[in-house]
Amino acid sequence: MTKTLQMLLVGGLVAAIAITLVLLGNPANMGFCIACFLRDTAGAVGLHSAALAQYVRPEIIGVILGAFVASLAQKEFAAKGGSAPVTRFILGFSMMIGALIFLGCPLRMALRIAGGDLNAVVGLVGFVAGVLGGTFFLNKGYTLRRTYDVSRTDGFLLPVIALVLLSLLVAFPSVLVFSTEGPGSMHASLLAALVAGLVVGAVGFVSRLCFVAGIRDSVLFGEFPMLAAFTALIAVGMIGNLAFGSFNLGFGNQPIAHTDGLWNFLGMGLVGLSSVLLGGCPFRQLVLAGSGNSDSVVTVFGMAAGAALAHNFQMASSEAGVTLNGKIGFAVAAAAVISIAVYNTFGKESKGIAVAE
Amino acid sequence: MSSYVATFHSHFGALSYWKALKGQGVSATLKPVPRKVSSSCGTCVLYQHSSAVDLDGCELDSIYLEVDDAFECVLQK
Repeated sequence: MTKTLQMLLVGGLVAAIAITLVLLGNPANMGFCIACFLRDTAGAVGLHSAALAQYVRPEIIGVILGAFVASLAQKEFAAKGGSAPVTRFILGFSMMIGALIFLGCPLRMALRIAGGDLNAVVGLVGFVAGVLGGTFFLNKGYTLRRTYDVSRTDGFLLPVIALVLLSLLVAFPSVLVFSTEGPGSMHASLLAALVAGLVVGAVGFVSRLCFVAGIRDSVLFGEFPMLAAFTALIAVGMIGNLAFGSFNLGFGNQPIAHTDGLWNFLGMGLVGLSSVLLGGCPFRQLVLAGSGNSDSVVTVFGMAAGAALAHNFQMASSEAGVTLNGKIGFAVAAAAVISIAVYNTFGKESKGIAVAE
Repeated sequence: MSSYVATFHSHFGALSYWKALKGQGVSATLKPVPRKVSSSCGTCVLYQHSSAVDLDGCELDSIYLEVDDAFECVLQK
């Protein structure tokens, strides 16, 4: 089987799982969204108090544990870290601000397009622009420097945290906060969501699925298999939505979306740029975090913190549109990301290359 | 001449190594890392040479010899 065919199947599988999760109770066009689900989980443990967005999403736990098990099974679990962790925290934080301006991560952007939401097409244009911007910095020498081997225990901690969250959800739900209305209250059963997460996490690890890599690799290397996964995800998602009567083409009346084109463009532009600078989209960061990469764990923590502050400071968008605080927060986050890109591209000292002795 | 795949700790390292090889007249290509190879960074350098080229200063991780679509690690930094 060719690599492109494999990635077409991977994209199609993820879309089918996402459509199934919506049928089982997840919000419309939100069968899977790493940004939204991390935000809901942050709310459920009390990091923010947005009443409509609080639930420990088993999909997040599943992706972490699925990637963890797959990496162990493939003998590729590798505890690594130490590549500019604080910078990665800020990039993860900023990426989440962009995602919550748009209302979704790249995965949900694709699912929104598959549902006929043309606002997400505007987001895709911004996302591509952001990825191209990041690729420019990569080609000019951007680096956060190398990772190092760390204690194997360090790599096990996020899966352990995921198991603790799962235990709380199953055995002690009263200590968590759950939405009683809005998107946070809409979810598939715990078991279905967990199994879906496990499968998507494992498949994501084995295939190295990344929604940024699709565009980046086609630009940098002229390689298209990852882009094929992205395309298959949209195509299969669209077929599913058409089959189940949930395809609604247009800008208005789209579920958990707003129609402000400029901010849809800018929000996803920031996600695209941050993702390239981090080396992967939010989904890829979560998968890497489950497979021992502590730099990605720090990034995920940054994303969760960004989600919490986005809601605590009223920076997250809603169906009513983008808030003033959101625009200010975006400006600060974008300035931080661009500064990081510029400094780590043009501000570093080169030691020079030499033949090893 | 043999085919080699060099992996790196960062994209910048791969880019630096690729430029250094090109400077030496070696035919080299930047590519995504093949799935059969593990790496911190998703970018590798494929090149044809009589032996593995070990360079310092470019965050080199490993070099693999490619034989019949299989990869044998011949250098690990």
